[in-house]
Amino acid sequence: MAPLLEAISIGKTYPGGTVANDGVNLSVEAGEVHAVVGENGAGKSTLMKILFGIEQPDRGELRLDGRPVAFANPREAIDHGIGMVFQHFSLVPSFSVYENVVLGSEPRDGIRFDRAKAIEAVRALSEKFRLSVDPLPPVGQLPVGQQQRVEILKALYRDARILILDEPTAVLAPQEVEELFVAIRALVAQGRTVIFIAHKLPEVLEISDRITVMRGGRTVGSVGTKQVTEDSLATMMVGREIALRVDRAAARGGVTCEIKALRIANDRGGTIAEDLSLNVHAGEILGLVGVEGNGQAELLEAVAGLRGIAEGAVHLDGTSLEPLSVLQRRELGVASIPEDRLARGLATGATIAENLVATRLSDRRFVRNGLLDLKAVKAHAAALIERFSIRAGGPGFAVGTLSGGNMQKVVVARELAEQPKLLLVNQPTRGVDLGATQFIWKSLTAARDGGAAVLLSSADLSELLALSDRLVVFYRGKIVAAFHNTDDLTPETLGTYMLGLDTQEPETMRAALQ
Amino acid sequence: MIELLMTVFSATFFVTVIRTTTPLLFATLGGLISDLSGALNVALEGMMLIACLTAVIVSVYAPWYVAVLSGICAGAMLGALMALFHLRFKADIILVGFAVNILAAGGTVFALSRATGGDKGTSINLQSKAVPSVNLSFLEAVPVIGPALRSLLSGHSILSWLAILTVIGVWFFLYRTPYGLWLRGVGEYPAAPEAAGVPVNKVRAWSLIASGALAGIGGAQLAMFNYIGFTRDMTAGRGFIALGAVLLGARHPVGAMLAALLFGIFEALAIVMPNLFNWIPGEIIQTIPFVVTVLALVLFSYRAQRARQLKTLSKI
Amino acid sequence: MSSLSSTRRAVFLRELGRALTAVVIALVVALIVIFVTSANPGAAFQTLLTAPLSSNRTMGLWIDDVAKLTLTGLAFSLVFQARQFSMGVQGQVYVGGLCAALVAMSPIGATPLAIPLGMLAGMIAGAAYGFIPGYAKARFGASEIVSSLMLNYIAILVVNYLIRAHLAPPGTGQLMTAKFPDPAIFPAIIPGTRFDLGILIALVATFVVWFLLYRTNWGLKLRLVGHNPKFAEYAGIRASFIMVSAMTVAGAFGGLLGSVFVQGRAFGNLAQNFDGNLAFEGILIAIVARSRPLAVPFVALAYGYLRQGAQLMGIRTDVPTEMISVVQAIIILLVASSFSLPGKALLARLTGRRTVPAAAPEAAK
Repeated sequence: MAPLLEAISIGKTYPGGTVANDGVNLSVEAGEVHAVVGENGAGKSTLMKILFGIEQPDRGELRLDGRPVAFANPREAIDHGIGMVFQHFSLVPSFSVYENVVLGSEPRDGIRFDRAKAIEAVRALSEKFRLSVDPLPPVGQLPVGQQQRVEILKALYRDARILILDEPTAVLAPQEVEELFVAIRALVAQGRTVIFIAHKLPEVLEISDRITVMRGGRTVGSVGTKQVTEDSLATMMVGREIALRVDRAAARGGVTCEIKALRIANDRGGTIAEDLSLNVHAGEILGLVGVEGNGQAELLEAVAGLRGIAEGAVHLDGTSLEPLSVLQRRELGVASIPEDRLARGLATGATIAENLVATRLSDRRFVRNGLLDLKAVKAHAAALIERFSIRAGGPGFAVGTLSGGNMQKVVVARELAEQPKLLLVNQPTRGVDLGATQFIWKSLTAARDGGAAVLLSSADLSELLALSDRLVVFYRGKIVAAFHNTDDLTPETLGTYMLGLDTQEPETMRAALQ
Repeated sequence: MIELLMTVFSATFFVTVIRTTTPLLFATLGGLISDLSGALNVALEGMMLIACLTAVIVSVYAPWYVAVLSGICAGAMLGALMALFHLRFKADIILVGFAVNILAAGGTVFALSRATGGDKGTSINLQSKAVPSVNLSFLEAVPVIGPALRSLLSGHSILSWLAILTVIGVWFFLYRTPYGLWLRGVGEYPAAPEAAGVPVNKVRAWSLIASGALAGIGGAQLAMFNYIGFTRDMTAGRGFIALGAVLLGARHPVGAMLAALLFGIFEALAIVMPNLFNWIPGEIIQTIPFVVTVLALVLFSYRAQRARQLKTLSKI
Repeated sequence: MSSLSSTRRAVFLRELGRALTAVVIALVVALIVIFVTSANPGAAFQTLLTAPLSSNRTMGLWIDDVAKLTLTGLAFSLVFQARQFSMGVQGQVYVGGLCAALVAMSPIGATPLAIPLGMLAGMIAGAAYGFIPGYAKARFGASEIVSSLMLNYIAILVVNYLIRAHLAPPGTGQLMTAKFPDPAIFPAIIPGTRFDLGILIALVATFVVWFLLYRTNWGLKLRLVGHNPKFAEYAGIRASFIMVSAMTVAGAFGGLLGSVFVQGRAFGNLAQNFDGNLAFEGILIAIVARSRPLAVPFVALAYGYLRQGAQLMGIRTDVPTEMISVVQAIIILLVASSFSLPGKALLARLTGRRTVPAAAPEAAK
């Protein structure tokens, strides 16, 4: 019997050169739960976007029921019975559940919106697929798990035969995950097919029938769930050679930054990360390992002062950082390279010189009596451009005219212009070309050798393994493992902890956390 | 004091209030629709002014209902113009709105002087028509309350009655039709209707056109009932008061009606009070709608901010 | 490095090209309007284009307008650079004018201190009035657009009332105050014309705003907040303080304009509705000048010329002055839009440079 949905040799290269998919194959049978797993950057999201019509492939073809299809936009994919539930929901907060579900295809009675029919339809779907949610309350007041059900109902209302769920468990609490699985089984029992993109291997093994593993834009393999073990799966996902390595720290100094029992909460009071305790020493790089969204970025923001701390303490050389503002922390020697340079790290409309001096506006070298010393600012910028090999026309050019790698170098140059005490780095080489990557790595190790304590978070495991002296693994908002970075530490080992397959002995962990 | 109370609770005052409220109400409804779709329409003032003039000039040559219709069309076309520049050419909606206001302020005087053959102040030389009032004198025959009913309900502009129907119509549209749902969705969280296949830009364009059309009715009432004829700058800030009423009315048609009514009462007071109390200056009464709007704005924003802060830790 | 200056030049030329294209299109529309409405379009268009230069008096009118347009353009440029849309310049002009007038009508008005103190009073009043929407925004999150628009009307109504009921000479029924004593009125630079101290004040103000924005700590912070508020937060800059102070300082310039209005030779007293909506034309100046203070006087010069030409055309020919609002509206609409006109691509090719994109995509080098 022909598979329900097939992707054959899909290739997709984004403008700018990133090869997202390189000969990807996917084959989904009708009525199964098919998981697609892989690390960040493996190409999963691109494949899903192609399946849903948001992107078009450069090569290869899609087949539905054995016949070739192509989707120019999501509407066409929806018309062919494919529905997608994204990680970030598209729900109008003040509209009720049923209004959100039927938006765009409302049942009508003449010119009137037939609300009774809509509520009925939503109730029926909700029962049929075990997605219990009350149709009436406004969606904004519902917990995340129920909001997700509304999203699924949206797809089902439009008669989706195939449902693609993008990291559905990332936002759910354990009980909600169980409820979701009940719903998925009900969907399959009703003849639907589910494609499930995930990271958390225990869940994948529990719910799926078959698993396709992707890595580096390619399909590594496709296996039946019953035939695979956790370890072999982890190896398929993360095994890769490390191309570059840098020298480990010669010796490390005393504890610079102490984080004790930190808890970080989100807007609604729910916990993003908790029970975080670790020490970072001067002269070392501590890598934060984990699938994105497990608390690493939030920890860095909390230490930088961009996010509040719900409980716990952060100390820098004995001084508590909690009551201090961003500026005060910077004055104590905290520097941070943010995750998104365009959104947060730079003002693209301002000049390179202005961006470079933006965090130093209380420095007497540049500002005296409220007046800018333009010559000093310009000289400072020229020196940094030289030192960090930033390819730009000059200090007076707008930052927005630079390439991604050079923009990132501006951020790095600004933060490392003076030796920081504590350096917080998040995704330092995302979207950066190889040459700039090498340079940035060198700058980070130079900062470390100058005595900085560095907290590094990255979605790129090879980067973390190359740079870090010690590594700490995050899973579901908690620290689950800690290691010294020795030669026999492999990506696979880290992988098992990242994906929740294993937990370390508390003793071992505590030792490595010092 | 007694005099004041007697004046305020008289039938004539009620009639005055209805008269002053009608143009405000239409403009407010226009502002409401635009605001709910996510665009702040600062051009209500200009749209009303241009509609005033259009209605007056057309009424010289055509029956009153054609003139009203032309005022509506003028407003709608301005809405379409704003949609073109804002949605297609990506110009900021505030700047586009001000361009319309500037065009209206000067353009109406220009057109007026052409139409009157030189008079830049008023259209008094033109034989412009009036919107008919609805005579319900048969109500007098009702036992006991007849005369009171008649003085309260008879003699209002036909457009005032239309205003009430329009409030109901706008409410129905917004909360009982799918298109109203689309409009409110587009204004609150455009990503959701977009993902559902709703043509977001089309919805925004139509809401600007509707906004202009409603302001147009308000302009027609102003220049064909409240006053007969056009005077330069005759809208006197009503378009901006309407924005205030949208806010005060908590962005709901019934609230908008009540807010417009409140501001209509103040305008009526400004007419009546200087005669009774010449120690309360008319200008000061005229500031009341603006002051009330600022206070309401602060209050509503503060409440929204507090609601957000209760969830997040605040940071400066 | 030659590439620095040539790319800078390309950007400048592109901006200039866009502004000029908008003006040219507007003038073409003006010509069409004149053609359609005038019995003698040639004479009307000629008046529009040449009348301001016809005599000392008309040049004085032109320069007087330039001074005022510059000040309101500067006020708007300042708030626009901080990405705030406070529209309150008109209100600031009125309260500033009121306070300057009060100084002029007090005993100080007969002393040499009348002019500096009047200006100071105007600036303080304007700053306070600009502070209000800024504070409402920073503290309560209230939209500065709506609050500033409301405050405009409040200011005009209160000032009009005060003139009618208290400040105008009693019993005359006039809607303006008596003329201020001589020491309170700006002296003329060219005698017999309106070419007075105002233009000097405007030029000094231009320098001051430029200096504030580009040579001070505060100005840099303001511009960074305008470029990317999230970045400013990350860099430790207090965005709310910057927003409030930007609107307050801009208010001072609005208030200064009020003083220039009432103490200038054009008026020399406080009259009802004295600004004739000139304050709002500052929006046009600011957006054509791309909110750059040094460009503001030049834009004011050109636009003021057009404006004065239209005034004279209205007096001397059969085309009403007000047709210029069509020109104004078209310029604003065109300059605020971001589509490319065919002429710009041509211009770019003529200068032999590729236009620089706003944010270059990453290049895999």
